[in-house]
Amino acid sequence: MSIISELQTLGVDTDEALTRFMNNEGLYIRMLKKYPAAVEGSKASEKFAQKDREGAIAETHTLKGVTGNLSLTPLYKAYTEMVALLRAGKGEEAAELYQKTLPVEKAIIDCINNN
Amino acid sequence: MKDTILIVDDMEINRVILAEGFKDEYEILEAENGKQALEQLEKEPKIAAVLLDLVMPEMDGMEVLRHMRRANMLTHIPVFIITAADSEKTLMDAYDLGAVDVISKPFMINFLKCRIGNIIELYRHRNDLEEIINEQIERLNKVNLSMVETLATLIEFRDCESGEHVKRICGLTDILMTKVSNMYAEYSLPRAEIDKIVTASILHDVGKIAIPDGILNKPGRLTKEEFEIMKQHTTRGCDILTQIPNIMDVDIYNYSYDICRHHHERYDGRGYPDALSGDDISIWSQVVAVADVYDALTSPRCYKAPFTHEKSVEMINNGECGVFNPKVLAAFNDSLEEIKVKEPPEGI
Repeated sequence: MSIISELQTLGVDTDEALTRFMNNEGLYIRMLKKYPAAVEGSKASEKFAQKDREGAIAETHTLKGVTGNLSLTPLYKAYTEMVALLRAGKGEEAAELYQKTLPVEKAIIDCINNN
Repeated sequence: MKDTILIVDDMEINRVILAEGFKDEYEILEAENGKQALEQLEKEPKIAAVLLDLVMPEMDGMEVLRHMRRANMLTHIPVFIITAADSEKTLMDAYDLGAVDVISKPFMINFLKCRIGNIIELYRHRNDLEEIINEQIERLNKVNLSMVETLATLIEFRDCESGEHVKRICGLTDILMTKVSNMYAEYSLPRAEIDKIVTASILHDVGKIAIPDGILNKPGRLTKEEFEIMKQHTTRGCDILTQIPNIMDVDIYNYSYDICRHHHERYDGRGYPDALSGDDISIWSQVVAVADVYDALTSPRCYKAPFTHEKSVEMINNGECGVFNPKVLAAFNDSLEEIKVKEPPEGI
């Protein structure tokens, strides 16, 4: 199975992404390959652990933008909600959602890394 | 030549998507944070648009906008905020700071290209028009200035002068006004204002056109009655200026009017026509008064030979030509080297 169809099974809206990338599949895949490093470089986990609200907003906000642009739909939805919860002062709910999102994120990253 | 777009985002993925979308039509510059963006803007001032993320390390997008606003860049460079931000307040703040549009991530590159392309075109048009208008203004100002100079020179010919007096007054006003402005905070003026004052000084004696030849060119001392008529050149000058207000820029007109009326006032209130004293007399009229007296002393006139530079300076300082503001005198005495450009040939 190609990376595109495998990502589709994980809920990634690859059609929308390809429109964004002007149907340049090669470019889309090149950008997908950069995503694992972006997550690795993120301090979201650290900020949630420290209950640093502003820091967590900045980190999840960044991931929201990237996942949105790559159309990693389940992750985009989760990070969008996390930002909203954090802004509403619901830090614990956001942290819970973050924990729930990690396996989904891992599955997508594994798919990207393995293809 | 292609226009240049600056893409500012801390995430490489976002930058690459934008760069890919725009690379065919534009040269692309990239910055990872606000600091780098400002450096790029300094190096490449002809950037056609900035695509700016808000949340970034080092310096965020709002700070970049504030810097650009302070540096007056936003009038020429459209800034598009490209953000995943969903707080209305943040977006309104960005607009208030001068962002031209806010685009949400995830964006669709084709729409983005249209929106950004349209605005760049609009700004290019506006910048071109501004350039044309500035050229026209400059040309108009030159024509106006030459008309004003011609008028002043004509008056001087009646006054046994050659047209050099006006040039010397401008030079002296420039030297003295700059010195006074640098020496005293209370009289400090921006360079552009000093330039206007220098231009305005040209017409200080325009009222002499209304003074009869017999008085204007009388070789000997004027009688009391004749001097009263001579004094009217200040107020008559203002009458003339009110008839030709459109010949010059409104600021220069205002300076001209003031200088024309008050360049014979004296600091102790014993001048004319209004017997103003102290700083009721504008600093520019005080400066032109000293410049006028110095030039009158060092120049030959129908009624006198020129005095030497040294003698003229002495006469100004010891009050023989009326009392001047001590601060203006200090600036005058501090500028003597610059002022003494040319010694009158047959000084006494």
